[in-house]
Amino acid sequence: MSNVLVKLEVTSLERVALALQFKKADRVPAAPLFCGASHRVLGITYDKWSTDSELAVKSLLASQKLIGFDAFVTLVDLSVEAADFGQEVIFPKNSTAYPNFNNQYIKTADEYDKIKKINPRETKRMKSVIDICSGLAKAKGNEVAILGFLYGPLGVLSQIRGHKELFKDLIRHPKEVLQAIEIITEVLIEYAVAQIEAGAHSVCIDPLYSSPTVLSKSGNGVYFEEVIKWINPVAISVAHPAYGCKSWEEHEQKWGKKIVTIGYSHPSNTGLIWSEDEIIEDCRKQIELFKNNDSGFILSTGCEFPPNGNLISAAAMVKAAKIYGAYNV
Amino acid sequence: MTALKEELFGKLSDAIVDMEEDEVVALSNKVVDEGIDAYEAIDKGLSHGMERAGKLFDEEEYFIPELLMCSDAMYAGLDVLKPHIKIDDKEEKKKVVIGVIEGDTHDIGKNLVKIMLETSGFEVYDLGRDIPPKLFIEKAKEVKADIIALSTLMTTTMDGMANVINSLKEENIRNNFKVIIGGGPISQSFADKIGADGYSVNAAEAVRLVNRLVTVNV
Repeated sequence: MSNVLVKLEVTSLERVALALQFKKADRVPAAPLFCGASHRVLGITYDKWSTDSELAVKSLLASQKLIGFDAFVTLVDLSVEAADFGQEVIFPKNSTAYPNFNNQYIKTADEYDKIKKINPRETKRMKSVIDICSGLAKAKGNEVAILGFLYGPLGVLSQIRGHKELFKDLIRHPKEVLQAIEIITEVLIEYAVAQIEAGAHSVCIDPLYSSPTVLSKSGNGVYFEEVIKWINPVAISVAHPAYGCKSWEEHEQKWGKKIVTIGYSHPSNTGLIWSEDEIIEDCRKQIELFKNNDSGFILSTGCEFPPNGNLISAAAMVKAAKIYGAYNV
Repeated sequence: MTALKEELFGKLSDAIVDMEEDEVVALSNKVVDEGIDAYEAIDKGLSHGMERAGKLFDEEEYFIPELLMCSDAMYAGLDVLKPHIKIDDKEEKKKVVIGVIEGDTHDIGKNLVKIMLETSGFEVYDLGRDIPPKLFIEKAKEVKADIIALSTLMTTTMDGMANVINSLKEENIRNNFKVIIGGGPISQSFADKIGADGYSVNAAEAVRLVNRLVTVNV
């Protein structure tokens, strides 16, 4: 990791951008994937936050001001893309939106051809996320990192077909699944481009179902390594050590110099259970493991910060980064 | 065991592992036609096959899609064989009431735990998903369950698990049931916080946990 001269006032954007290049700013960045929880900062209901991009932007901006995190993440929920392909979505007043699994858009394996190419810029929900990127960029694009978000193609299709049925179709009807996946992938590429054009500095892709518990290893390749090879990310957000690593120490040794790790505070322990002191101690261990070995790292939760989590707990993560993440440059 | 029985049970077990649902149904019908004991066929054919599938899942040879298809084949065979079980063969099994907590509809994890528990000889009452706390308690009381198993994938519905335990306390029946919890955001710390009897990180571990709890309970 190289040392670079930095000005005294480092912005969050610079902090994140340098970290993603394995360079040191003033300290380790803190980005606790604070998304849905932001609806509570402005005191609006979750369903309004999920469907009104202006309110979402205001909430996220207020949250950043309050908590001081270094990156926005534009994850609204995992049904955004599916809704635009035709899936009915339920918007609970105080919880994350989800597909109506009793009314799947694709009800049988014969219906995968119902998936048609759409322009994300002309949709309802994906357009809303694009607008969130745009709103955040206008307000804070020069100061705070904006990480766009999209659900991976298989994840999107699982929301449209139902997880269980899709898993079985992968074996029974792989050709039909693949045809739908290819169309969804094309749309998602456009969606990623649109988020970047709107002002996002990067896009997070959630390949949830490339987990080794869901899909088998193929040939001699380890699936995790295949994901890295094909997606070629600058950073990975992880809840558990990468496949094949038994501990975080092993993960750091194997991947720390190759890719930036974004992680890995336990979301519910951090947001709902632990005290501020316990959170800071947990963060200290993570920061020191990577920082002391000159490995790429951004402090974060391993998944979205709980939408119903304690806001002070998110602030504790930022506090930990300030106390233990400072570089002596 | 006669050669025919042995052959049919072996084929049933293999058909489960091979995810051949139609073959399982055909073999199960043959079991019935030949007058072979249905309970024995379930035990030494269907359950044996699911045990093998579960082991392959544990060893990362099989994954969720394969396990789901094996279980579909098992349930198809059960549909054929169950009506032919003699009353005397219906041994008393330990009972588990399982479901996804209210507000959450993600049930893959719950289904895996259900499959693995049934394979391990438990009688499982699956309430499904989006289940209010009081329904867990009503069902557990009705069937005199040994275990109540609660699942959720969402942090926003985790409190529902605590509500089940608190309601059991309010009714003074907390000690009648062991309560276990699981799901993506769940941790041992959360289990300790709400006073659950156990937490498991995956389906195979859930079976070991339930086995431990019912043994302790005896």
